[in-house]
Amino acid sequence: MSILANKETRAVIIGGVAGLNAARRMAQFDFLINRPLTVQAFVYPPEEGQQKEIYRGGELNNVTVYSSLEQALEENPQINTALIYIGSSRAYQSAKEALDAKGIKLVSMITEGVPEKDAKRLRKYALETGKIFNGPSSIGILSAGECRLGVIGGEYKNLKLCNLYRAGSFGVITKSGGLSNEAMWLCAQNGNGVTTAVAIGGDSYPGTDFVTYLEMFEKDPETKAVVIVGEVGGTLEEEAADWLGAEVRRIKVIAAIGGTCQEVLPQGMKFGHAGAKEGKKGLGSARSKMNALRDAGAIVPDTFGGLSKAIKQVYQELLASGVIKPEPELDEKLLPALPPSVQEVMKQGEVIVEPLIRTTISDDRGEEPRYVGYAASELCEKGYGIEDVIGLLWNKKLPSKEESEIIKRIIMISADHGPAVSGAFGSIIAACAGIDLPQAVSAGMTMIGPRFGGAVTNAGKYFKYGVKEYPNDISGFLSWMKQNVGPVPGIGHRVKSLKNPDKRVKYLVDYVKNQTTLHTPCLDYALEVEKITTAKKDNLILNVDGTIGCILVDLDFPEYSLNGFFVLARTIGMIGHWIDQNNQNSRLIRLYDYLINYAVKEEREVPLKK
Amino acid sequence: MAKILEGPAMKLFNKWGIPVPNYVVIMDANRLAQLGEANKWLRESKLVVKAHEAIGGRFKLGLVKLGLNLEQALEAAQEMIGREIGTSVIRQVIVAEMLDHDEEYYVSIAGNRDGAELLLSNKGGVDIEDNWETVKRLFIPLDENPTIERITEIAHEAGFSGEVAERVAKIASRLILCFDNEDAQSIEINPLVIRKSDMRFAALDAVMNVDWDARFRHADWDFKPVSEIGRSYTEAEQQIMDIDARIKGSVKLVEVPGGDIALLTAGGGASVFYSDAVVARGGTIANYAEYSGDPPDWAVEALTETICRLPNIKHIIVGGAIANFTDVKATFSGIINGFRESKSKGYLENVKIWVRRGGPNENQGLAAIKKLQEEGFDIHVYDRSMPMTDIVDLALNS
Repeated sequence: MSILANKETRAVIIGGVAGLNAARRMAQFDFLINRPLTVQAFVYPPEEGQQKEIYRGGELNNVTVYSSLEQALEENPQINTALIYIGSSRAYQSAKEALDAKGIKLVSMITEGVPEKDAKRLRKYALETGKIFNGPSSIGILSAGECRLGVIGGEYKNLKLCNLYRAGSFGVITKSGGLSNEAMWLCAQNGNGVTTAVAIGGDSYPGTDFVTYLEMFEKDPETKAVVIVGEVGGTLEEEAADWLGAEVRRIKVIAAIGGTCQEVLPQGMKFGHAGAKEGKKGLGSARSKMNALRDAGAIVPDTFGGLSKAIKQVYQELLASGVIKPEPELDEKLLPALPPSVQEVMKQGEVIVEPLIRTTISDDRGEEPRYVGYAASELCEKGYGIEDVIGLLWNKKLPSKEESEIIKRIIMISADHGPAVSGAFGSIIAACAGIDLPQAVSAGMTMIGPRFGGAVTNAGKYFKYGVKEYPNDISGFLSWMKQNVGPVPGIGHRVKSLKNPDKRVKYLVDYVKNQTTLHTPCLDYALEVEKITTAKKDNLILNVDGTIGCILVDLDFPEYSLNGFFVLARTIGMIGHWIDQNNQNSRLIRLYDYLINYAVKEEREVPLKK
Repeated sequence: MAKILEGPAMKLFNKWGIPVPNYVVIMDANRLAQLGEANKWLRESKLVVKAHEAIGGRFKLGLVKLGLNLEQALEAAQEMIGREIGTSVIRQVIVAEMLDHDEEYYVSIAGNRDGAELLLSNKGGVDIEDNWETVKRLFIPLDENPTIERITEIAHEAGFSGEVAERVAKIASRLILCFDNEDAQSIEINPLVIRKSDMRFAALDAVMNVDWDARFRHADWDFKPVSEIGRSYTEAEQQIMDIDARIKGSVKLVEVPGGDIALLTAGGGASVFYSDAVVARGGTIANYAEYSGDPPDWAVEALTETICRLPNIKHIIVGGAIANFTDVKATFSGIINGFRESKSKGYLENVKIWVRRGGPNENQGLAAIKKLQEEGFDIHVYDRSMPMTDIVDLALNS
């Protein structure tokens, strides 16, 4: 047996992430004692409609988030308890709604910093409606073997250590949340554990008090004694003493009261709990509370340390008088162990998981990313540049100084080619339509293909093929190409020609061949091909894609990586165009109709649908 | 609970139509001369100058000067501003009109669980404590306002009569409005004075506490609560309060000069029992501290370093109950860092550290802090099987 929370308790949690964490802890308890999930719904408007994953042992449950309590209760009429986990400025409204709800009998609030007036109103309202409002600032309620409301009881291991899987004979009422847990531990260590433990919260005006729950415990036959942990401030402990002394009570009361140190500390000293504050003329002092409780017949040790002995003493007396029987020792091994997560089991080496992806270039598991083993900051520190990062991530090699210089030039030369080309134009149109940077740049990026910028890979690929298969037979290569591929990628230009050469190509070829020691079989081969093709037609020159492709092949980059250089380089340009258009606050573009040939059917009537 | 200074209290009184004397709050004495040119009352009335700080016993410390003219007030203000009292410095003074009056009354209101209680007496002033039996009380249930007739009745019971009774009742009813609407916890006006020649009333002195948790619904609260411990906060306390205001969970600190046992305890409830245990065993605490609600490790680290710097400490009690959700491993990593940092700066010499804690990840947390032994710390670590406050006994017996 128990008070407040039992096996029939079904709860809604009103609040966000803190409430979700509590629900997960509560589900651990549900698993321990093998009861259905306690939390049946969440109310949190910002996350309306979401499902929250709650594990009860290994069983995955999805609990719905509703935008209103009304809706949650309509769909879950079995709910009889509400837990308030929402911020202090909205806590009053939420609790009031919960108290108004027909099916809800108990509202417990963990929210701290609730205005006193709000707490007073909630207390009054609960009294009027005959319901229980527990809190604010309450860690929760736990009935051993029956139900856990809130994170009271701590981690899973502690639930077992405190024997919370089955009922004992002690009730616990505390103001403090941490001490509710400590008191449960003491009852398990020195007695047979608890029936129910409830924290009323340390605020000045809690919704319930010691007497509320002492009366309930008195009526609960399983509870033989109650441990209360009070503290300086207010008169709740004195009221508990009055209750105890008023008539013969079935339950024994053991009490610890904090705050005797107030006697030697500065007046007005503020402790952790809002309510822990001595009134005028010693009213509500720890000493007066201790005396009142002792006079009423409670066992009140001088310090918290004396609680263990007091509980043990009461337990022994209860055993001796035959009121309770000794609890048979339960083999802890019979209690279920919380299923471990995959990570935990893997750490133990007890399971093999086939990886979903494999990487060979980059590792983010340490303090900073490592590229093929090298720490990024160390590369910076030792004077490496972006070309070296490209070399590592694309080809797993650190380029030489000379190679880096070539890569750098390739990127610089290809970074942009004015607004008219498909890529830049695509980005500009998107920018003018108010599209954000990443999407506008990818609009330009989608233009890269066989007709624009995307020939680098194929140029490199086929010239490499030529070097290998037709080393001294350019015309053989060209006829193979004609038969199998079509026009040679990397050869030909719309405007440039032999008489009007592409300055970039000229520069690159000149730089690589005359200012570096790079061995350039592929580039040489392409230049030989150009001699033949330009003899046929003036504009069949080696274009910039072809040049870059060949140089990159000569640099030993894998052929399928070659378009990446154009993509990378031109991204710089496209971002530039996007920024430029935004700086100018450009307007939306649409084509003038005189730029369109409307080669369409004449106007005609739509026939009736057959 | 938040005590507010007289200036802001007067402002709130004004807002709710409770008569107050003319007053100004200044930080620079010279400003008073200029205010004197602008305000007739400063030139023509007798004045009172008070230190506008949270310092107890201001009268005895010479921080209240009565019956001054403007020139004397200027002098008094000059004298007070910048004066150091213990750890606090006087930065502001309030200069108010010292109303010539015929009688002094007492009006106060304080909240309780079911509402509030209004107290009235026609024997106000410094002797109110001796005349406590003359005080008449009116219980005001939550969210109810007593009729003016009812308040007048109480005023009559408290010895007021005629027009004075009516006026006092009117002021009391406004005080109730002010109390209710400003989320006050208590307001005490002593004395409320009357000058009968023109039936002018004024709240000459007032102490007001507001509910700081309700500040989210008071956009016009432009003040900060002041220290309630009879002195202003120390720099260290202020720093910890600033951190407390920024984090999830909480860290709290009050220094208690002269003690030699420092507390670095967890939980609003347990921390009090640790203080009790020290006092009960005849020890003296150097501070009260508390962290709870799973605060971030850096906040606990800052609290730890602050505590290590307390002068003349012999022991540090790193105590706590078995936590519900405060992660022991994470918060202890803050404490460990704080200890290391402090030691490297030369603190913790001959200081013994006593640890007892339980809660989520307790094994890892306790093992980590125990390792400090290898770094030369005089640290003693116990788990949940050690009764909570027994480490205090061990410390004091060592």
